Amino acid sequence: MEGDLIVVIVVATALAFDFTNGFHDTANVVATSISTRAMAPRVAVGYAAVLNFAGAFLSLAVAATIANDVVDPAAVSLLAVFGGLVGAITWNLITWYFGLPSSSSHALIGGMVGAVLVAEGPSAISFDDGILGKVMIPAIVAPILAFIVAGVSILVLYKIVGRLRPRPVGQGFRGGQVLSGGMLALAHGTNDAQKTMGVITLALVANGTVSQSDFHVPDWVVVTSATAIALGTYAGGWRIIKTMGSRIHKMDSAQGFAAQGAGAVVILAASKVGFPLSTTHTISGAVIGSGAAKRLSAVRWGVAGNIILAWVMTLPAAACFGALTYSVTRIFGTGAAGPIVVCAAGLVVTALLLVRRAQQRGIASVGDAAEVTG
Amino acid sequence: MIASIVDTHDLLEVIWVSIVAGVGLTAVYGVAIVGASRAVDAGRQGATAGAVMYGALGIVAIAVVIAASIFGIETLSDK
Repeated sequence: MEGDLIVVIVVATALAFDFTNGFHDTANVVATSISTRAMAPRVAVGYAAVLNFAGAFLSLAVAATIANDVVDPAAVSLLAVFGGLVGAITWNLITWYFGLPSSSSHALIGGMVGAVLVAEGPSAISFDDGILGKVMIPAIVAPILAFIVAGVSILVLYKIVGRLRPRPVGQGFRGGQVLSGGMLALAHGTNDAQKTMGVITLALVANGTVSQSDFHVPDWVVVTSATAIALGTYAGGWRIIKTMGSRIHKMDSAQGFAAQGAGAVVILAASKVGFPLSTTHTISGAVIGSGAAKRLSAVRWGVAGNIILAWVMTLPAAACFGALTYSVTRIFGTGAAGPIVVCAAGLVVTALLLVRRAQQRGIASVGDAAEVTG
Repeated sequence: MIASIVDTHDLLEVIWVSIVAGVGLTAVYGVAIVGASRAVDAGRQGATAGAVMYGALGIVAIAVVIAASIFGIETLSDK
């Protein structure tokens, strides 16, 4: 009975993570469409939310990787899964607060690894085949690949359309961004929603609800994960849209089209083989590639450096938060008391952060108004 | 060392599919824009044959992009 209560808490926490993933990550998907004025912001976010929902139903290969290949499902406890999830959410909230486009996916994997490491020891973690082979190496390859594909694509495009009048070309690529942005949103839904599905399934295996020998992702897990990421996407992450859409470099619609297309194909191809990529890393690589191919100085390398710093810090930082959360939870024993206390504390801290953020926005708005009228 | 821990077949598949589909489809879409733009220009100049030819090129290129996108999604959802 108490195990079922913990499962309910873990599932709710996983869906909350999925919501923050949509809120935090998917904004990156629409940033280029907004930046080039291919779509109005609200339309772009709504469109991405719908396609994220649809994308979640396309494949289960990434969910299988998360549930089976990163940690040993037979050795994992529900409290360790809970600790990993809270660690990931904590890191997501911190990076959201500071406007850093770090990876929710790597936060999730880092959080799980940290919590499981403290709970069960290193033998429960698949360092070589799982973390290195299916997470770390693809994580390094994907943004570089997206950088190259976007860079080569934009050079080819400029060769093809270079002699045409700029106005119809701009209109044509803004139209193309409806397709490329849609594909990118679909790709995001496919890869990212599956990570939540994988974690929930891992919790169900730990609780004995799903048999490890008959591994499958239940339909209700697919539907609730798709819904949570779509709702999170619609809620939006405007600070990160600003960073991704204009602060790395100002892009034209051809660059936006090339960047979104490159990001989409890399994520979709990786999803097919079950690599849990970071959409943030991949689209950042593509955005930087489309800018660097045109002119190296067009990229604000300081901003790009901050993004890279956030990437490097995400796995270890989320692992620390995951380990810390698990340790705090265990102070209250192995029952449901620990997760309930941690959830209550988390809700209070999140509410305080949101109030503080709202107050800062209010002060900024008054300052802007004074600047305009003064 | 790396080959023993990473599935090189999967990784190489991701790399070549991304390059071929990413660069290829972007280029084909560029051709569609060329076709549409030239068709409009030819139509304005009264060159009907040219307008039809460029228009057809644009339509075929758009059809290729859409068909390839659908094929990609179909392939991905092959569970």
